[in-house]
Amino acid sequence: MNPALLEVKDLSIHFGGLRAVDGVNFAVNRGEILGLLGPNGAGKTVTFNLISGVYKPTSGEIWFDGKRINGLPSYAIAALGLGRTFQIVKPFSTLTVLENVLVARGITRYPAPSCLWTSWKSRQEAQAAMALLDRVGLADLAQRKAGLLPLGNLRRLEIARALAVGHKLLLLDESFSGLRHEEISQLEALIRTIQQAGITVLLIEHNMRVSMALCDRIVVMEYGKKLAEGTPAVIQQDEQVIEAYLGRKGESDAS
Amino acid sequence: MQLLIEQILNGLAMGSIYAIITLGLALVYGVMRILHVAHASVYTFGAYAGVFIFQATGSLALAFLGSMLLCAILGVLIERLVYFPLLKFPPYVPLIASIAVMLTIEELCRLIAGPQILTFSAKLPFPDLDVAGVHLSSTLIAIYVITAAILLLLWYLINRTELGLAMRATSQDMAIAGAQGINSHYIVSLTFVIGSAIAAIGGILVGIYYNQVYPTMGAVPAYKTLALIVVGGMGSVAGAVIAALMLGLAETLLIGYLNVPFPRDALAFVAMIGVLVWRSEGLLGSR
Amino acid sequence: MSSYAITILTLIVIQAIVVCGLNVIVGYAGQISLGHAAFFGIGAYSAALLSTRGGLSFWIALPLVLIISALTGLLLGLPSLRLKHDFLAITTIGINFIVQAIFLYVPFFGGALGISGIPRIQVFGEALKGAHFLYLCLFFLGVVMAICWLFTRVFAGLACFALREEEAAATSMGISPVRFKLLAFMLGTVFAGLGGALYAHYMRFVSADDFSFPLSVSFLAMLVLGGMGSLLGPLVGALILGALPELFRPLAEFRILFYALMLLLMIRFQPGGILGESSLIRKRLFPLFLRRQP
Repeated sequence: MNPALLEVKDLSIHFGGLRAVDGVNFAVNRGEILGLLGPNGAGKTVTFNLISGVYKPTSGEIWFDGKRINGLPSYAIAALGLGRTFQIVKPFSTLTVLENVLVARGITRYPAPSCLWTSWKSRQEAQAAMALLDRVGLADLAQRKAGLLPLGNLRRLEIARALAVGHKLLLLDESFSGLRHEEISQLEALIRTIQQAGITVLLIEHNMRVSMALCDRIVVMEYGKKLAEGTPAVIQQDEQVIEAYLGRKGESDAS
Repeated sequence: MQLLIEQILNGLAMGSIYAIITLGLALVYGVMRILHVAHASVYTFGAYAGVFIFQATGSLALAFLGSMLLCAILGVLIERLVYFPLLKFPPYVPLIASIAVMLTIEELCRLIAGPQILTFSAKLPFPDLDVAGVHLSSTLIAIYVITAAILLLLWYLINRTELGLAMRATSQDMAIAGAQGINSHYIVSLTFVIGSAIAAIGGILVGIYYNQVYPTMGAVPAYKTLALIVVGGMGSVAGAVIAALMLGLAETLLIGYLNVPFPRDALAFVAMIGVLVWRSEGLLGSR
Repeated sequence: MSSYAITILTLIVIQAIVVCGLNVIVGYAGQISLGHAAFFGIGAYSAALLSTRGGLSFWIALPLVLIISALTGLLLGLPSLRLKHDFLAITTIGINFIVQAIFLYVPFFGGALGISGIPRIQVFGEALKGAHFLYLCLFFLGVVMAICWLFTRVFAGLACFALREEEAAATSMGISPVRFKLLAFMLGTVFAGLGGALYAHYMRFVSADDFSFPLSVSFLAMLVLGGMGSLLGPLVGALILGALPELFRPLAEFRILFYALMLLLMIRFQPGGILGESSLIRKRLFPLFLRRQP
């Protein structure tokens, strides 16, 4: 079996004259946590949007679990077992926390006509959704309207929803940003248990300490191009990375 | 040939009137993102105010000024009392409110002035023209001249004055404009003053052009102008004006001259759907 | 009940059926539609043509009417895939004007004369009229509301809610916006078509004027005032806005003014609907009857 679950080959997207992502190559191996780092505007979130099918690449290929997925619509890519969170949280505000997860649990139902008569109000569905909420520590807020939650809880809700979808790969877009100190360590622990459950994780992170501690490997981007790739130890020593990113750490933290 | 030229001239007049009404709608949409359907009833109200002041004083100038003033007040009242408190709701809420306002004003006009058609036989202070065998009535000339003057003044106001800059900033983003020290609510109200005063001019011109003022005269323009601001590109004043002139010409030429068997009032919407298929942001809109 | 009250009630029930359809499109799936009277009209004209020129009975024509409504809903729902918010609102207004113009100008649809001589509905060989027709309408309203209730409980309905709230997030969870928006449009127009068919057989005459844009506005106003997205909302809204003009009848020529003013006041001060979550009735009146706060 191919050790890579996700392969990005020579990926580019141009918006008018702007080369937001420009010939990027990397692979995410099965079972690892790969960090995608880089200063603001480096093209990290655009890369996420390309992988999850929000944008169509100008050129290049994306392979997921032996299947070429570039050009597929988002919902079809999700159905292959790829879940994602959003940097700007997107809760279904007027639905409850539980219902938010139930929407994601419907991932296997939506393509088939049976979604017209299968109820989401069954006990099994609720139990399965509660189990996911329990995992991210939101079980006691299950009946609350999602729009009323503070940011930290919304980030966890996003992860619960993504877990319901992504049984193979999770894309986490700055899930740590805006969190308090103790929330960060809880979330780190959660991501480790996700990895132990056999799910591969690709994450965008600004917090250096978190990404160095959490990631097995790191890909650094700048100006839409890949700058470096390697283990955290290697990345920390990389002259170019220090110049481009670590050297300006204060600046990126301020953003 | 002569008939064609006369039809073109009539079409241009029609288009000018559409432009005058659409202007206000585009301005309001620009700063508030509200579909101000009731604008057409401000125009009706303006025509009535014009008729009554003209009948009472015999002065066309007073009729214009008085009607503009009254419409400006009406416009600001609608903005302050109805739209502004509803800004935080989904767009269909102010839209329904706007339609209710339109119905209310229409009914008030009908109850106060009666359901019958009033005549507006004002004599304009200059003669008709005959150029190369084509007859240009003084009303047509007035419509062209006044529309051109309004467009020029508005263009100057928006592009060359600080007030215009503040209006453009507000239409980009009300919150950010506010943060930069622009009193955006004042700008919004001022937009209503300008748009409504222009609608009063439109109402009086139409009243004189057709020699008719009646309660439902705003009904057809109310919805047609919606199509026009889409065709022009939402909130683009220049686009809306071009679309209005084109529609006036197209209606008169296709249906009046070529006798194409097509409902005149649906043409705007057919054109709109055509434009949307071709360019979903409208003629001069930006995504 | 007087025959006058029965007439008013029958029309209110028919409108409630149509507004239930609008609720699926706007309340459940979050797509704005200001042209619902057009779909009401398409149902009415299909029923009228099938029963007069086609010579079909209501019960045989009904499935055809519903299929025609569904297909036109599918076709005219296509703009909702490309357009958002105000663009969609204005486009649906345009659809209303164009459909009405087609009824008026294409001779096949009877032109300005409309279609008359539509037969009454027969049940067990008896022509329905008066209260019996009202019962039939109530039966259909019951069916429609039951379908709406079921729809909110199945995954397809949940998918529509998700699209209404956050399209990008919904899409990342396997929900195809195309499929579910069109589904909502189709269901909504089928209900409108059903209402139209009942209307045609009740009035026994249809003309283009019956399906003009102001009717679309009053459908939407009924939905907003009754409570967008709620099950009972369409019925409550149809009752209020349907009964108001009748209650104001003694006001004679001030009737429309009062109707307009009431509509304005309600939308201005209760924009979330009469039964909406923050409405006066729910905050002040419900606690009086309900011990348990939900």
